[in-house]
Amino acid sequence: MLLLLLLLRFSGAGVRMKGGLRLVVLLMLSVESSSLSPPGKPVLLGCRSPEKETFTCWWKPGLDGGLPTVHRLYYEREQLEGTHECPDYRSAGSNSCFFDKNHTYIWVDYHVMVEASNALGNVPSDPLKFDVMEIVRPYAPENVTLMVEEKQESPYLHIRWKHPSNTVSRSGWITIKYQLRVKQENSNDWKNYTSGTQMGFSLYSIHPGAVYEVQVRCTLDHSSWSEWSNTTFVKIPNYLQNERPFGILVSIFSTIPVVAALCVLVTKRKYVKRFLLPPVPGPKIRGVDVQLLKSGKSEDVLGALIVNQNFPPMVARKDQMEEYLIVSDGGEWLLPAPLKSQKKKKSSFIPAGFHLDSQCKESTPSQVQENKDEMKSSSNLEQKQEFSGINFAAADLQKGASENFMQRLPNSGYVDIQRQENIVEVDGILVDYSRVKEVNGDNVFILQKENVPLSLDVQRREESMSEDYSRVKEVNGDNVVLLQKQNGSDDSFCTEKGNRYTHCTNQTQRNPHMTGLSKIGVCTDLSSDGYVDTIPAPSLI
Amino acid sequence: MLVCLVLCGKLTAVDAAPLCTNAQAGCHVLSLANLFDRVIQHSARMHGISNDLHSEFELYFLPSKNQIGRVSRNCHTSSILTPNGKENAQRMAREELTEVILKLLVAWRDPLWHFHQSMAHHHDFNNFSSNKSLEMSDMVHELRKGVQKVVEKMQMLGIISNSVSNLASPEALLASDSAEWRLMKDYDLLYCFRRDSNKVQNYLKILKCRIVPEHGC
Repeated sequence: MLLLLLLLRFSGAGVRMKGGLRLVVLLMLSVESSSLSPPGKPVLLGCRSPEKETFTCWWKPGLDGGLPTVHRLYYEREQLEGTHECPDYRSAGSNSCFFDKNHTYIWVDYHVMVEASNALGNVPSDPLKFDVMEIVRPYAPENVTLMVEEKQESPYLHIRWKHPSNTVSRSGWITIKYQLRVKQENSNDWKNYTSGTQMGFSLYSIHPGAVYEVQVRCTLDHSSWSEWSNTTFVKIPNYLQNERPFGILVSIFSTIPVVAALCVLVTKRKYVKRFLLPPVPGPKIRGVDVQLLKSGKSEDVLGALIVNQNFPPMVARKDQMEEYLIVSDGGEWLLPAPLKSQKKKKSSFIPAGFHLDSQCKESTPSQVQENKDEMKSSSNLEQKQEFSGINFAAADLQKGASENFMQRLPNSGYVDIQRQENIVEVDGILVDYSRVKEVNGDNVFILQKENVPLSLDVQRREESMSEDYSRVKEVNGDNVVLLQKQNGSDDSFCTEKGNRYTHCTNQTQRNPHMTGLSKIGVCTDLSSDGYVDTIPAPSLI
Repeated sequence: MLVCLVLCGKLTAVDAAPLCTNAQAGCHVLSLANLFDRVIQHSARMHGISNDLHSEFELYFLPSKNQIGRVSRNCHTSSILTPNGKENAQRMAREELTEVILKLLVAWRDPLWHFHQSMAHHHDFNNFSSNKSLEMSDMVHELRKGVQKVVEKMQMLGIISNSVSNLASPEALLASDSAEWRLMKDYDLLYCFRRDSNKVQNYLKILKCRIVPEHGC
């Protein structure tokens, strides 16, 4: 390159030289200098203040360009005129600039950039703007020491450390807060703990025989966290030997009573069974006086339960009518809420599905067994009002979702209040009860017409049931009950039994799976005795 | 009254002056160190909230961090001369430092209130940010009252002279109630307040460790 330069000089002196030769020389010069270029763009890596009193900035130089390159840092500052150069390039190492206390101002914006320059040009870096408050980041804590201490036979780990060097926090200028993390040697699960401003920490949940690693870091007020300190290891001595025989003893002694208890349980399993699963009490049949049973007067009881053809129909029925009445109800002793105001103690309730003649079959399985016997015994009988007692009795048994309550009438009748949702299965037919809507007078109640939300099964059965039952729709006066028209089917199917019945149309077929018992005389007529005989419903509704 | 006397007697000589001279039952004497701790905690929380809000703002508006151009962030509190380093703050007289703190707190009362109002109408921000701005606005008010109490106590104890003006007076308020802050954008307002709340916190800590250094400095 020097030679070429000399050539140029000489050629310049010799004006006679052709311009072309000069061009050639220049080209050659340029070819030679293609390895030289202005420097690459440097990159400002960042600045950091470890104690909020000084700060340092670092940069990374770009490509050299082949020429010696010099990097210079320039900054501007709020409340300071002009651009200034870095005060100290050395203290913090190469490619760095250190601002000492005199040059560090907090809560003002700095505007910093680095310029790389060589003979061929200057290239500035991208600037960095910051407030020293934002770049505070302390060094890691030092001298982390671990000590295993034993207190009351349980070991714990006491961890201690010192504040990072070059930070003095006596003046209140900085408040250092610490955080530590611990893990066992072979796992990857660090557990973090916050220590606040304390420079010590006690760790109690340690396993004897394990090796623990501990690291600590800190922050200044709201600054970023420092790096984690170097890992410190500690091995917890093994205390297991002392504990093992004790543990064995404890386990042996604890199993003996357990085994003994088991033996006792096995030998006395009958008693245990009786204790845990008490026998189901027998059904409480309403209308049956328990005292009566106890006293041994079983005739009346049996008379109530067993129906046979020999039973005098009218008289007995009347008696029973007086005594037994099943009422569907909201499952309460009291009337349903709308009726509360009208509740009268002497009220008698007529069930919606007033199936005097129907046989109520217990729908709950627990009572099926017991009912079946009764049902069987009375199954040969025709539908009769005398069955009403049974019906009621049987209906009593039905629990469903509610409880049955009996209310004793002044004339010693029973009224059984049942929840409407209870479906009494009468010989395979489910019967709905309407809710008592209103009570007029002493012996009359008006039933609420309701479409009971039934299951599909019930619906199916309802149809068959509707042949035989009709719901009481309205009661007029003392002696008249209006029955509700069933869904599409003719109701008021009355038996031809007795002169008690008014003319009812026998319009529906008998349900094949109805026995004689299950024929229900839906039509009722309220006699002065206080019970209801069936009357033709359709005409009235 | 006996209880008070006993309590007051237990305090250090600095705090020996009892405040419960009216013989009120159950009156509770707060030591100066205690008062300082409270206001410092309060200021720390205030700065924390301003930090959070500032970060959230940056997420929304993404102002370029390294704007080319002269550093010229004009906070409306730039006129208040504040020490910019540890030595400067330590060298400043107690009364002066206390006055600086109070001036800063007073200067931010109205701007923060208006900031909260504008935040409440801003649809971009969720309720959380809006609550924070309200909290921030309240805190500046409460902190000023707290610092006022500390000043009163210090004056009563003779630690500082009575030259610290009562900045609640209307004259002082009028002086600092320049309309500069109305011209500032929300983001700049947040940036300036973040800085000023940090100043208040640091000045209070320095003041405390100068006056009652034995309690956790």
